[in-house]
Amino acid sequence: MPLTLQPIIRLLLDDTGTTRIVATTSEDGSPYAVISPFLHLNHDGFFVHLELLETSITNRNLLRNLWFDRKAAINLTGKDGRSVLVKGVPVKAIISGPIFSEYYTKVRQAFGDADLSTVWLIKPVEIVNETYAERKIEEETQYPFSVHLDRLVNRKKSTQKKDRP
Amino acid sequence: MTQRGEVEHLNDIVAKYPEVPQLIILKTDVQRRGVFYTDSALSVLDEKKHSITGTHIFGTRDGKIAPRPESLLLRDGTSIITTPTAIEDNPYVVDLLYGQPYLFDGGEPIEEVDYWPAPAFYGKLTRSGIPMQKIVSARPQRLVINPHRYCTFWNNSNGCTFCDIVAQIKKGKKDLQIQVRPKADEIAEIVAEALNEPGRYSAVFLTSGSVINGTEPFDEEIDIYIEVFQELGKLFRTKKFPSQIIGTAYSEAQLERLYRQTGLMSYTADIEVLNEDLFNIHCPGKAEWIGYKEWKRRLVNAVDIFGRGFVNTGLVAGIELTTPHGFKTEDEALSRTLEEAEDLASQGVSTVYIVWSPRPDTVIGNQKNASLDYYIRLAKGLHELRVTYKLPIMFDDYRHCGNHPDTDLSRLLPF
Ligand code: SF4
Repeated sequence: MPLTLQPIIRLLLDDTGTTRIVATTSEDGSPYAVISPFLHLNHDGFFVHLELLETSITNRNLLRNLWFDRKAAINLTGKDGRSVLVKGVPVKAIISGPIFSEYYTKVRQAFGDADLSTVWLIKPVEIVNETYAERKIEEETQYPFSVHLDRLVNRKKSTQKKDRP
Repeated sequence: MTQRGEVEHLNDIVAKYPEVPQLIILKTDVQRRGVFYTDSALSVLDEKKHSITGTHIFGTRDGKIAPRPESLLLRDGTSIITTPTAIEDNPYVVDLLYGQPYLFDGGEPIEEVDYWPAPAFYGKLTRSGIPMQKIVSARPQRLVINPHRYCTFWNNSNGCTFCDIVAQIKKGKKDLQIQVRPKADEIAEIVAEALNEPGRYSAVFLTSGSVINGTEPFDEEIDIYIEVFQELGKLFRTKKFPSQIIGTAYSEAQLERLYRQTGLMSYTADIEVLNEDLFNIHCPGKAEWIGYKEWKRRLVNAVDIFGRGFVNTGLVAGIELTTPHGFKTEDEALSRTLEEAEDLASQGVSTVYIVWSPRPDTVIGNQKNASLDYYIRLAKGLHELRVTYKLPIMFDDYRHCGNHPDTDLSRLLPF
Protein backbone atom coordinates (compact mmCIF):
# COMPACT_ATOMS: atom_id res chain seq x y z
CA MET A 1 0.00 0.00 0.00
CA PRO A 2 1.50 3.45 -0.85
CA LEU A 3 2.85 4.92 2.36
CA THR A 4 1.44 8.37 1.58
CA LEU A 5 -2.15 7.17 1.69
CA GLN A 6 -1.82 4.77 4.61
CA PRO A 7 -2.39 7.43 7.29
CA ILE A 8 -5.57 8.67 5.56
CA ILE A 9 -6.91 5.15 5.31
CA ARG A 10 -6.16 4.51 8.95
CA LEU A 11 -7.78 7.82 9.96
CA LEU A 12 -10.88 7.07 7.91
CA LEU A 13 -11.13 3.57 9.33
CA ASP A 14 -10.70 4.88 12.89
CA ASP A 15 -13.65 7.22 12.42
CA THR A 16 -17.00 5.54 13.10
CA GLY A 17 -18.69 8.08 10.80
CA THR A 18 -16.85 6.80 7.72
CA THR A 19 -18.93 5.08 5.04
CA ARG A 20 -17.31 1.75 4.06
CA ILE A 21 -18.31 0.08 0.83
CA VAL A 22 -17.17 -3.18 -0.73
CA ALA A 23 -17.85 -3.54 -4.45
CA THR A 24 -17.52 -6.73 -6.45
CA THR A 25 -18.49 -8.06 -9.84
CA SER A 26 -20.29 -11.26 -10.69
CA GLU A 27 -19.20 -13.79 -13.29
CA ASP A 28 -20.78 -11.79 -16.13
CA GLY A 29 -19.33 -8.51 -14.88
CA SER A 30 -22.48 -7.17 -13.16
CA PRO A 31 -21.46 -4.78 -10.40
CA TYR A 32 -22.58 -5.19 -6.80
CA ALA A 33 -21.80 -2.90 -3.86
CA VAL A 34 -22.63 -3.22 -0.18
CA ILE A 35 -21.94 -1.34 3.01
CA SER A 36 -19.35 -3.15 5.11
CA PRO A 37 -19.85 -1.79 8.62
CA PHE A 38 -17.00 -3.75 10.25
CA LEU A 39 -14.39 -3.08 7.55
CA HIS A 40 -10.93 -2.42 8.98
CA LEU A 41 -7.24 -3.11 8.45
CA ASN A 42 -5.56 -5.91 10.36
CA HIS A 43 -1.99 -5.87 11.67
CA ASP A 44 -0.65 -7.34 8.44
CA GLY A 45 -2.14 -4.58 6.28
CA PHE A 46 -5.05 -6.64 4.90
CA PHE A 47 -8.57 -5.27 4.81
CA VAL A 48 -10.94 -7.38 6.88
CA HIS A 49 -14.49 -7.62 5.54
CA LEU A 50 -17.01 -9.57 7.61
CA GLU A 51 -19.57 -11.33 5.45
CA LEU A 52 -22.59 -12.20 7.50
CA LEU A 53 -24.54 -14.23 4.93
CA GLU A 54 -23.16 -17.35 3.29
CA THR A 55 -25.31 -17.05 0.17
CA SER A 56 -24.94 -13.29 -0.35
CA ILE A 57 -23.89 -12.12 -3.79
CA THR A 58 -20.88 -10.39 -2.26
CA ASN A 59 -19.75 -13.63 -0.60
CA ARG A 60 -19.95 -15.52 -3.88
CA ASN A 61 -18.26 -12.72 -5.80
CA LEU A 62 -15.41 -12.54 -3.29
CA LEU A 63 -14.95 -16.29 -3.53
CA ARG A 64 -14.85 -16.10 -7.32
CA ASN A 65 -12.32 -13.27 -7.04
CA LEU A 66 -10.13 -15.33 -4.72
CA TRP A 67 -10.36 -18.41 -6.95
CA PHE A 68 -9.61 -16.55 -10.17
CA ASP A 69 -7.36 -13.81 -8.83
CA ARG A 70 -9.72 -10.93 -9.60
CA LYS A 71 -10.02 -7.63 -7.79
CA ALA A 72 -12.71 -6.15 -5.59
CA ALA A 73 -13.00 -2.45 -4.73
CA ILE A 74 -13.32 -0.78 -1.36
CA ASN A 75 -14.47 2.80 -0.91
CA LEU A 76 -13.99 4.75 2.30
CA THR A 77 -15.62 8.16 2.55
CA GLY A 78 -15.39 10.31 5.65
CA LYS A 79 -17.91 12.87 6.92
CA ASP A 80 -15.48 15.64 5.87
CA GLY A 81 -15.53 14.44 2.25
CA ARG A 82 -12.19 12.67 2.25
CA SER A 83 -12.53 9.57 0.11
CA VAL A 84 -10.22 6.73 -0.87
CA LEU A 85 -10.79 3.86 -3.27
CA VAL A 86 -8.77 0.70 -2.78
CA LYS A 87 -8.59 -2.12 -5.28
CA GLY A 88 -7.67 -5.42 -3.67
CA VAL A 89 -7.61 -9.17 -4.14
CA PRO A 90 -9.39 -11.40 -1.65
CA VAL A 91 -6.66 -13.74 -0.43
CA LYS A 92 -8.18 -15.64 2.45
CA ALA A 93 -11.60 -16.78 3.63
CA ILE A 94 -11.49 -17.65 7.32
CA ILE A 95 -14.38 -19.86 8.43
CA SER A 96 -13.10 -21.43 11.63
CA GLY A 97 -10.61 -20.99 14.45
CA PRO A 98 -9.78 -18.27 16.95
CA ILE A 99 -9.90 -15.34 14.49
CA PHE A 100 -13.30 -16.43 13.23
CA SER A 101 -14.64 -16.91 16.77
CA GLU A 102 -13.41 -13.46 17.82
CA TYR A 103 -15.24 -11.74 14.94
CA TYR A 104 -18.31 -13.92 15.39
CA THR A 105 -18.54 -12.68 18.97
CA LYS A 106 -18.02 -9.05 17.88
CA VAL A 107 -20.77 -9.27 15.26
CA ARG A 108 -23.19 -10.69 17.79
CA GLN A 109 -22.29 -8.03 20.34
CA ALA A 110 -23.06 -5.37 17.74
CA PHE A 111 -26.10 -6.87 16.04
CA GLY A 112 -27.67 -9.22 18.60
CA ASP A 113 -28.76 -12.53 17.15
CA ALA A 114 -26.66 -12.30 13.99
CA ASP A 115 -24.45 -14.88 12.32
CA LEU A 116 -21.11 -14.68 10.54
CA SER A 117 -20.30 -16.62 7.40
CA THR A 118 -16.78 -15.61 6.46
CA VAL A 119 -13.95 -13.36 7.56
CA TRP A 120 -12.48 -12.12 4.28
CA LEU A 121 -8.92 -10.82 4.06
CA ILE A 122 -8.44 -8.50 1.10
CA LYS A 123 -4.93 -7.57 0.03
CA PRO A 124 -4.76 -3.98 -1.23
CA VAL A 125 -3.00 -3.67 -4.57
CA GLU A 126 -3.93 -0.19 -5.74
CA ILE A 127 -5.10 2.95 -3.97
CA VAL A 128 -6.81 5.92 -5.58
CA ASN A 129 -7.44 9.20 -3.82
CA GLU A 130 -11.08 10.08 -4.50
CA THR A 131 -11.35 13.12 -2.21
CA TYR A 132 -13.28 15.57 -4.36
CA ALA A 133 -11.52 18.77 -3.27
CA GLU A 134 -8.11 17.29 -4.11
CA ARG A 135 -9.21 15.50 -7.28
CA LYS A 136 -10.82 18.75 -8.54
CA ILE A 137 -7.56 20.67 -8.33
CA GLU A 138 -5.73 17.80 -9.99
CA GLU A 139 -8.28 17.57 -12.78
CA GLU A 140 -8.40 21.25 -13.56
CA THR A 141 -4.61 21.53 -13.58
CA GLN A 142 -3.95 18.48 -15.72
CA TYR A 143 -7.01 18.62 -17.98
CA PRO A 144 -7.93 22.26 -18.63
CA PHE A 145 -10.36 21.19 -21.37
CA SER A 146 -12.50 19.36 -18.80
CA VAL A 147 -13.71 22.68 -17.40
CA HIS A 148 -16.97 24.34 -18.48
CA LEU A 149 -16.40 27.86 -19.73
CA ASP A 150 -19.18 29.45 -17.69
CA ARG A 151 -17.09 28.68 -14.62
CA LEU A 152 -14.27 30.79 -16.09
CA VAL A 153 -16.35 33.81 -16.96
CA ASN A 154 -15.21 37.05 -15.41
CA ARG A 155 -18.40 37.72 -13.48
CA LYS A 156 -17.24 41.09 -12.14
CA LYS A 157 -16.82 42.58 -15.63
CA SER A 158 -20.03 41.21 -17.12
CA THR A 159 -22.03 42.30 -14.05
CA GLN A 160 -20.72 45.86 -14.47
CA LYS A 161 -21.85 45.88 -18.12
CA LYS A 162 -25.22 44.57 -17.22
CA ASP A 163 -25.71 47.31 -14.63
CA ARG A 164 -25.34 50.00 -17.30
CA PRO A 165 -28.66 50.45 -19.19
CA MET B 1 5.93 -40.76 -12.74
CA THR B 2 8.61 -38.56 -11.21
CA GLN B 3 7.87 -36.01 -8.53
CA ARG B 4 8.70 -33.25 -10.98
CA GLY B 5 6.32 -34.81 -13.49
CA GLU B 6 3.50 -34.63 -10.94
CA VAL B 7 3.96 -30.85 -10.63
CA GLU B 8 3.80 -30.46 -14.39
CA HIS B 9 0.73 -32.65 -14.50
CA LEU B 10 -1.04 -30.43 -11.98
CA ASN B 11 -0.21 -27.38 -14.07
CA ASP B 12 -1.43 -29.13 -17.21
CA ILE B 13 -4.78 -29.79 -15.60
CA VAL B 14 -4.99 -26.22 -14.30
CA ALA B 15 -4.37 -24.99 -17.84
CA LYS B 16 -6.85 -27.48 -19.33
CA TYR B 17 -9.71 -26.45 -17.03
CA PRO B 18 -9.45 -22.67 -16.58
CA GLU B 19 -13.05 -22.58 -15.33
CA VAL B 20 -12.14 -24.82 -12.35
CA PRO B 21 -10.42 -23.01 -9.47
CA GLN B 22 -6.77 -23.94 -9.12
CA LEU B 23 -7.27 -24.46 -5.38
CA ILE B 24 -9.91 -27.12 -6.00
CA ILE B 25 -7.70 -28.88 -8.53
CA LEU B 26 -4.87 -28.81 -6.01
CA LYS B 27 -7.10 -30.10 -3.21
CA THR B 28 -8.25 -32.97 -5.41
CA ASP B 29 -4.70 -33.89 -6.31
CA VAL B 30 -3.60 -33.78 -2.68
CA GLN B 31 -6.49 -36.10 -1.80
CA ARG B 32 -5.49 -38.34 -4.69
CA ARG B 33 -1.84 -38.58 -3.76
CA GLY B 34 -1.98 -38.06 0.03
CA VAL B 35 0.43 -36.05 2.17
CA PHE B 36 3.62 -36.65 4.05
CA TYR B 37 4.42 -34.42 7.02
CA THR B 38 8.07 -33.52 7.57
CA ASP B 39 9.51 -33.36 11.08
CA SER B 40 9.50 -29.54 10.80
CA ALA B 41 5.83 -29.55 9.84
CA LEU B 42 5.07 -31.77 12.82
CA SER B 43 7.20 -29.61 15.13
CA VAL B 44 4.65 -26.76 14.93
CA LEU B 45 1.72 -29.09 15.55
CA ASP B 46 0.27 -28.07 18.89
CA GLU B 47 -2.62 -30.03 20.35
CA LYS B 48 -3.86 -26.93 22.14
CA LYS B 49 -4.22 -25.12 18.80
CA HIS B 50 -4.68 -27.86 16.21
CA SER B 51 -6.86 -30.89 15.62
CA ILE B 52 -4.71 -33.95 15.81
CA THR B 53 -5.62 -37.37 14.36
CA GLY B 54 -7.27 -39.60 16.85
CA THR B 55 -10.81 -40.73 16.28
CA HIS B 56 -11.03 -41.66 12.61
CA ILE B 57 -13.58 -44.32 11.87
CA PHE B 58 -11.43 -45.37 8.89
CA GLY B 59 -7.67 -45.91 8.70
CA THR B 60 -4.71 -44.07 7.15
CA ARG B 61 -2.92 -44.77 3.91
CA ASP B 62 0.40 -45.37 5.61
CA GLY B 63 -1.30 -47.72 8.07
CA LYS B 64 0.02 -45.84 11.11
CA ILE B 65 -1.75 -44.37 14.10
CA ALA B 66 0.37 -41.41 15.19
CA PRO B 67 -0.27 -37.78 16.15
CA ARG B 68 -0.52 -35.81 12.91
CA PRO B 69 -2.70 -32.92 11.74
CA GLU B 70 -6.24 -34.18 11.38
CA SER B 71 -6.45 -32.35 8.04
CA LEU B 72 -5.70 -29.11 6.25
CA LEU B 73 -7.46 -25.88 5.34
CA LEU B 74 -6.82 -23.94 2.15
CA ARG B 75 -7.05 -20.14 1.78
CA ASP B 76 -10.58 -20.33 0.40
CA GLY B 77 -11.88 -22.10 3.52
CA THR B 78 -11.95 -25.45 1.71
CA SER B 79 -10.70 -28.43 3.64
CA ILE B 80 -8.31 -30.99 2.28
CA ILE B 81 -9.34 -34.14 4.05
CA THR B 82 -6.39 -36.30 3.32
CA THR B 83 -4.52 -39.13 4.82
CA PRO B 84 -0.84 -39.46 5.76
CA THR B 85 0.92 -41.41 3.06
CA ALA B 86 4.34 -43.05 2.98
CA ILE B 87 6.96 -40.88 1.24
CA GLU B 88 7.77 -43.77 -1.14
CA ASP B 89 4.27 -43.44 -2.61
CA ASN B 90 5.05 -39.91 -3.86
CA PRO B 91 2.58 -37.81 -1.87
CA TYR B 92 2.61 -34.04 -1.54
CA VAL B 93 4.88 -32.95 1.29
CA VAL B 94 3.80 -30.60 4.06
CA ASP B 95 6.79 -28.62 5.29
CA LEU B 96 7.33 -25.14 6.69
CA LEU B 97 7.98 -22.01 4.62
CA TYR B 98 8.94 -19.06 6.82
CA GLY B 99 7.22 -20.82 9.71
CA GLN B 100 3.94 -21.38 7.77
CA PRO B 101 2.84 -24.93 6.85
CA TYR B 102 3.05 -25.19 3.07
CA LEU B 103 2.35 -27.86 0.48
CA PHE B 104 5.43 -28.81 -1.51
CA ASP B 105 5.83 -30.97 -4.54
CA GLY B 106 9.17 -31.94 -6.05
CA GLY B 107 10.76 -29.53 -3.57
CA GLU B 108 8.72 -26.59 -4.92
CA PRO B 109 6.39 -24.64 -2.61
CA ILE B 110 2.87 -24.86 -4.02
CA GLU B 111 0.37 -23.34 -1.58
CA GLU B 112 0.00 -22.35 2.06
CA VAL B 113 -2.17 -24.49 4.30
CA ASP B 114 -3.44 -24.26 7.86
CA TYR B 115 -3.92 -27.16 10.22
CA TRP B 116 -7.52 -27.54 11.34
CA PRO B 117 -8.07 -25.52 14.51
CA ALA B 118 -8.58 -27.53 17.71
CA PRO B 119 -12.04 -27.38 19.22
CA ALA B 120 -12.19 -25.99 22.75
CA PHE B 121 -13.65 -29.23 24.12
CA TYR B 122 -10.64 -31.32 23.08
CA GLY B 123 -8.62 -32.14 26.17
CA LYS B 124 -11.65 -31.97 28.46
CA LEU B 125 -13.08 -35.04 30.23
CA THR B 126 -16.66 -36.25 30.41
CA ARG B 127 -18.26 -36.70 33.84
CA SER B 128 -17.24 -40.35 33.69
CA GLY B 129 -13.63 -39.34 32.98
CA ILE B 130 -13.36 -40.13 29.26
CA PRO B 131 -11.42 -37.62 27.09
CA MET B 132 -14.15 -35.93 25.06
CA GLN B 133 -12.34 -36.18 21.72
CA LYS B 134 -12.43 -39.98 21.99
CA ILE B 135 -16.18 -39.83 21.47
CA VAL B 136 -16.90 -36.68 19.44
CA SER B 137 -14.53 -35.11 16.93
CA ALA B 138 -14.77 -31.96 14.86
CA ARG B 139 -14.15 -30.60 11.42
CA PRO B 140 -13.72 -26.83 11.01
CA GLN B 141 -17.49 -26.24 11.18
CA ARG B 142 -18.99 -29.62 12.02
CA LEU B 143 -19.31 -31.96 14.99
CA VAL B 144 -18.68 -35.59 14.06
CA ILE B 145 -20.19 -38.46 16.03
CA ASN B 146 -19.79 -42.17 15.35
CA PRO B 147 -22.44 -43.77 17.58
CA HIS B 148 -21.58 -47.31 16.46
CA ARG B 149 -18.14 -48.15 15.14
CA TYR B 150 -18.83 -51.56 13.74
CA CYS B 151 -20.45 -52.74 10.55
CA THR B 152 -22.35 -56.01 10.62
CA PHE B 153 -21.75 -56.55 6.89
CA TRP B 154 -18.41 -57.86 8.07
CA ASN B 155 -20.11 -60.65 10.08
CA ASN B 156 -20.10 -62.82 6.96
CA SER B 157 -17.14 -61.02 5.36
CA ASN B 158 -19.41 -58.97 3.13
CA GLY B 159 -17.89 -55.59 3.99
CA CYS B 160 -17.06 -53.15 1.19
CA THR B 161 -13.81 -53.76 -0.67
CA PHE B 162 -12.42 -50.29 0.13
CA CYS B 163 -13.39 -50.31 3.82
CA ASP B 164 -11.19 -50.88 6.87
CA ILE B 165 -13.67 -50.04 9.63
CA VAL B 166 -13.13 -53.32 11.46
CA ALA B 167 -9.34 -53.27 11.22
CA GLN B 168 -9.43 -49.66 12.39
CA ILE B 169 -11.62 -50.30 15.41
CA LYS B 170 -9.28 -53.10 16.44
CA LYS B 171 -6.32 -50.71 16.21
CA GLY B 172 -8.35 -47.91 17.77
CA LYS B 173 -9.42 -50.03 20.71
CA LYS B 174 -5.85 -51.00 21.43
CA ASP B 175 -4.00 -47.77 20.64
CA LEU B 176 -6.62 -45.08 21.27
CA GLN B 177 -9.14 -46.64 23.67
CA ILE B 178 -11.97 -45.78 21.30
CA GLN B 179 -15.36 -47.19 22.30
CA VAL B 180 -17.43 -49.12 19.77
CA ARG B 181 -20.73 -47.79 21.15
CA PRO B 182 -20.48 -44.63 23.28
CA LYS B 183 -23.49 -43.75 25.46
CA ALA B 184 -26.03 -41.32 24.01
CA ASP B 185 -26.16 -39.13 27.11
CA GLU B 186 -22.38 -38.92 27.18
CA ILE B 187 -22.36 -37.85 23.52
CA ALA B 188 -24.91 -35.14 24.35
CA GLU B 189 -22.80 -34.03 27.32
CA ILE B 190 -19.86 -33.47 24.97
CA VAL B 191 -21.94 -31.70 22.33
CA ALA B 192 -23.32 -29.39 25.04
CA GLU B 193 -19.75 -28.51 25.99
CA ALA B 194 -18.77 -28.03 22.33
CA LEU B 195 -21.63 -25.60 21.77
CA ASN B 196 -20.11 -23.25 24.32
CA GLU B 197 -17.58 -22.27 21.67
CA PRO B 198 -19.02 -19.32 19.72
CA GLY B 199 -19.45 -19.78 15.99
CA ARG B 200 -17.56 -23.02 15.82
CA TYR B 201 -20.19 -25.44 14.52
CA SER B 202 -22.85 -25.18 11.88
CA ALA B 203 -23.94 -28.84 11.82
CA VAL B 204 -23.96 -32.12 13.70
CA PHE B 205 -23.02 -35.18 11.71
CA LEU B 206 -23.55 -38.81 12.60
CA THR B 207 -22.36 -41.93 10.86
CA SER B 208 -21.92 -45.55 11.81
CA GLY B 209 -21.37 -48.88 10.22
CA SER B 210 -24.50 -50.67 9.02
CA VAL B 211 -26.40 -52.71 11.61
CA ILE B 212 -28.59 -55.39 10.05
CA ASN B 213 -30.36 -56.38 13.29
CA GLY B 214 -33.97 -55.59 14.09
CA THR B 215 -37.50 -56.71 13.28
CA GLU B 216 -37.00 -55.14 9.90
CA PRO B 217 -33.30 -55.18 8.91
CA PHE B 218 -31.57 -51.97 10.09
CA ASP B 219 -34.22 -51.15 12.72
CA GLU B 220 -31.49 -51.32 15.35
CA GLU B 221 -29.27 -48.96 13.37
CA ILE B 222 -32.10 -46.45 13.30
CA ASP B 223 -32.73 -46.96 17.00
CA ILE B 224 -29.11 -46.03 17.68
CA TYR B 225 -29.43 -42.80 15.67
CA ILE B 226 -32.79 -41.93 17.22
CA GLU B 227 -31.47 -42.43 20.74
CA VAL B 228 -28.53 -40.11 20.10
CA PHE B 229 -30.61 -37.53 18.24
CA GLN B 230 -33.19 -37.42 21.00
CA GLU B 231 -30.48 -36.66 23.54
CA LEU B 232 -29.02 -34.00 21.24
CA GLY B 233 -32.48 -32.57 20.61
CA LYS B 234 -32.69 -31.55 24.27
CA LEU B 235 -29.86 -29.08 23.62
CA PHE B 236 -31.67 -27.08 20.91
CA ARG B 237 -34.67 -24.79 21.03
CA THR B 238 -35.82 -25.79 17.54
CA LYS B 239 -37.27 -29.22 16.78
CA LYS B 240 -35.05 -29.58 13.72
CA PHE B 241 -31.43 -28.48 13.74
CA PRO B 242 -28.72 -28.55 11.02
CA SER B 243 -27.66 -32.17 10.95
CA GLN B 244 -26.81 -35.03 8.62
CA ILE B 245 -26.46 -38.76 8.86
CA ILE B 246 -24.72 -41.10 6.52
CA GLY B 247 -26.70 -44.26 7.09
CA THR B 248 -27.86 -47.33 5.24
CA ALA B 249 -30.67 -46.94 2.68
CA TYR B 250 -33.80 -47.28 4.81
CA SER B 251 -37.37 -48.23 3.93
CA GLU B 252 -40.06 -45.51 3.83
CA ALA B 253 -41.38 -46.54 7.24
CA GLN B 254 -37.90 -46.37 8.73
CA LEU B 255 -37.17 -43.00 7.15
CA GLU B 256 -40.49 -41.62 8.40
CA ARG B 257 -39.67 -42.81 11.92
CA LEU B 258 -36.20 -41.31 11.77
CA TYR B 259 -37.49 -38.00 10.45
CA ARG B 260 -40.46 -37.71 12.80
CA GLN B 261 -38.69 -38.72 15.99
CA THR B 262 -35.53 -36.64 15.61
CA GLY B 263 -34.19 -33.22 14.69
CA LEU B 264 -32.44 -34.68 11.64
CA MET B 265 -32.52 -32.35 8.62
CA SER B 266 -30.67 -34.20 5.88
CA TYR B 267 -30.00 -37.74 4.81
CA THR B 268 -27.20 -39.49 2.96
CA ALA B 269 -27.04 -43.15 1.99
CA ASP B 270 -23.84 -43.87 0.12
CA ILE B 271 -24.23 -46.08 -2.92
CA GLU B 272 -20.42 -45.91 -3.34
CA VAL B 273 -20.39 -46.74 -7.07
CA LEU B 274 -22.98 -46.00 -9.74
CA ASN B 275 -23.12 -49.32 -11.55
CA GLU B 276 -25.06 -52.38 -10.48
CA ASP B 277 -22.42 -54.99 -11.29
CA LEU B 278 -19.68 -53.01 -9.58
CA PHE B 279 -21.94 -52.32 -6.59
CA ASN B 280 -22.49 -56.06 -6.20
CA ILE B 281 -18.72 -56.64 -6.26
CA HIS B 282 -17.56 -53.74 -4.10
CA CYS B 283 -20.47 -53.57 -1.65
CA PRO B 284 -21.56 -57.19 -1.18
CA GLY B 285 -23.22 -56.48 2.18
CA LYS B 286 -25.33 -53.68 0.72
CA ALA B 287 -26.15 -55.89 -2.24
CA GLU B 288 -27.12 -58.81 0.00
CA TRP B 289 -29.40 -56.86 2.33
CA ILE B 290 -30.86 -54.19 0.06
CA GLY B 291 -29.75 -54.46 -3.55
CA TYR B 292 -28.75 -51.81 -6.04
CA LYS B 293 -32.11 -50.89 -7.54
CA GLU B 294 -33.78 -50.82 -4.15
CA TRP B 295 -30.96 -48.63 -2.77
CA LYS B 296 -31.65 -46.08 -5.47
CA ARG B 297 -35.41 -46.33 -5.00
CA ARG B 298 -35.00 -45.64 -1.28
CA LEU B 299 -32.85 -42.59 -2.00
CA VAL B 300 -35.54 -41.18 -4.26
CA ASN B 301 -38.22 -41.90 -1.65
CA ALA B 302 -36.18 -40.04 0.94
CA VAL B 303 -36.65 -36.84 -1.08
CA ASP B 304 -40.39 -36.94 -0.28
CA ILE B 305 -39.53 -36.95 3.42
CA PHE B 306 -36.48 -34.69 3.68
CA GLY B 307 -37.09 -32.48 0.64
CA ARG B 308 -35.10 -31.59 -2.46
CA GLY B 309 -31.60 -30.49 -1.62
CA PHE B 310 -31.54 -32.52 1.60
CA VAL B 311 -30.82 -36.00 0.25
CA ASN B 312 -27.70 -37.26 -1.43
CA THR B 313 -25.53 -40.26 -2.06
CA GLY B 314 -21.77 -40.61 -2.05
CA LEU B 315 -19.31 -42.31 -4.36
CA VAL B 316 -15.86 -43.61 -3.53
CA ALA B 317 -14.59 -42.35 -6.83
CA GLY B 318 -11.90 -44.44 -8.42
CA ILE B 319 -13.05 -47.90 -7.34
CA GLU B 320 -15.08 -48.10 -10.56
CA LEU B 321 -11.76 -48.30 -12.42
CA THR B 322 -10.10 -51.03 -10.37
CA THR B 323 -9.18 -54.34 -11.93
CA PRO B 324 -10.36 -56.86 -12.86
CA HIS B 325 -14.05 -55.86 -12.92
CA GLY B 326 -13.94 -52.09 -13.36
CA PHE B 327 -14.54 -49.92 -16.42
CA LYS B 328 -11.71 -50.22 -18.89
CA THR B 329 -11.35 -46.50 -19.58
CA GLU B 330 -11.90 -43.30 -17.62
CA ASP B 331 -14.11 -41.97 -20.44
CA GLU B 332 -16.45 -44.91 -20.08
CA ALA B 333 -16.43 -44.69 -16.27
CA LEU B 334 -17.26 -41.00 -16.44
CA SER B 335 -20.12 -41.26 -18.91
CA ARG B 336 -21.71 -44.27 -17.19
CA THR B 337 -21.38 -42.67 -13.74
CA LEU B 338 -22.79 -39.31 -14.82
CA GLU B 339 -25.64 -40.98 -16.69
CA GLU B 340 -26.81 -42.69 -13.50
CA ALA B 341 -26.12 -39.59 -11.40
CA GLU B 342 -28.34 -37.63 -13.77
CA ASP B 343 -31.16 -40.10 -13.30
CA LEU B 344 -30.91 -39.55 -9.54
CA ALA B 345 -30.56 -35.76 -9.87
CA SER B 346 -33.68 -35.59 -12.03
CA GLN B 347 -35.52 -37.14 -9.07
CA GLY B 348 -34.03 -34.77 -6.48
CA VAL B 349 -31.06 -36.80 -5.24
CA SER B 350 -27.59 -35.25 -5.45
CA THR B 351 -24.49 -37.32 -5.97
CA VAL B 352 -21.19 -36.32 -4.37
CA TYR B 353 -17.85 -38.07 -4.40
CA ILE B 354 -14.80 -38.56 -2.30
CA VAL B 355 -11.44 -39.33 -3.85
CA TRP B 356 -10.81 -42.99 -3.15
CA SER B 357 -7.75 -43.38 -0.99
CA PRO B 358 -6.41 -46.95 -1.24
CA ARG B 359 -5.63 -48.07 2.31
CA PRO B 360 -3.59 -51.08 3.37
CA ASP B 361 -6.21 -52.97 5.40
CA THR B 362 -8.70 -53.11 2.54
CA VAL B 363 -9.38 -55.67 -0.20
CA ILE B 364 -8.39 -53.31 -3.04
CA GLY B 365 -5.80 -51.35 -1.06
CA ASN B 366 -2.99 -52.39 -3.39
CA GLN B 367 -4.50 -50.67 -6.43
CA LYS B 368 -4.19 -47.08 -7.63
CA ASN B 369 -6.87 -44.43 -7.75
CA ALA B 370 -7.85 -42.53 -10.90
CA SER B 371 -6.11 -39.70 -12.72
CA LEU B 372 -6.48 -36.05 -11.68
CA ASP B 373 -8.10 -35.35 -15.05
CA TYR B 374 -10.79 -37.92 -14.25
CA TYR B 375 -11.50 -36.49 -10.82
CA ILE B 376 -11.82 -32.96 -12.18
CA ARG B 377 -14.16 -34.05 -14.96
CA LEU B 378 -16.24 -35.93 -12.39
CA ALA B 379 -16.40 -32.89 -10.09
CA LYS B 380 -17.50 -30.69 -12.99
CA GLY B 381 -20.04 -33.23 -14.16
CA LEU B 382 -21.70 -33.69 -10.77
CA HIS B 383 -21.72 -29.95 -10.14
CA GLU B 384 -23.28 -29.29 -13.56
CA LEU B 385 -26.06 -31.75 -12.75
CA ARG B 386 -26.87 -29.67 -9.67
CA VAL B 387 -26.98 -26.57 -11.87
CA THR B 388 -29.25 -28.28 -14.42
CA TYR B 389 -31.65 -29.71 -11.85
CA LYS B 390 -31.39 -26.75 -9.43
CA LEU B 391 -30.32 -28.91 -6.52
CA PRO B 392 -28.86 -27.10 -3.52
CA ILE B 393 -26.18 -29.02 -1.59
CA MET B 394 -25.40 -26.78 1.35
CA PHE B 395 -25.76 -29.57 3.92
CA ASP B 396 -22.78 -31.39 2.39
CA ASP B 397 -20.67 -28.45 1.19
CA TYR B 398 -17.17 -27.14 2.02
CA ARG B 399 -18.35 -25.87 5.39
CA HIS B 400 -20.38 -28.87 6.50
CA CYS B 401 -18.20 -31.63 5.12
CA GLY B 402 -15.23 -30.49 3.04
CA ASN B 403 -14.55 -33.87 1.48
CA HIS B 404 -16.17 -33.39 -1.93
CA PRO B 405 -14.43 -31.48 -4.74
CA ASP B 406 -17.75 -31.37 -6.62
CA THR B 407 -19.59 -29.61 -3.80
CA ASP B 408 -16.70 -27.14 -3.50
CA LEU B 409 -17.61 -26.03 -7.01
CA SER B 410 -21.23 -25.72 -5.92
CA ARG B 411 -20.29 -22.91 -3.50
CA LEU B 412 -21.13 -20.55 -6.35
CA LEU B 413 -24.60 -22.01 -6.98
CA PRO B 414 -27.13 -19.16 -6.97
CA PHE B 415 -29.73 -21.24 -5.09
S1 SF4 C 1 -21.24 -50.20 4.70
FE1 SF4 C 1 -19.34 -50.72 3.69
S2 SF4 C 1 -18.09 -48.83 3.86
FE2 SF4 C 1 -19.75 -48.65 5.34
S3 SF4 C 1 -18.88 -49.43 7.23
FE3 SF4 C 1 -19.94 -51.16 6.25
S4 SF4 C 1 -18.39 -52.18 5.06
FE4 SF4 C 1 -17.58 -50.19 5.59
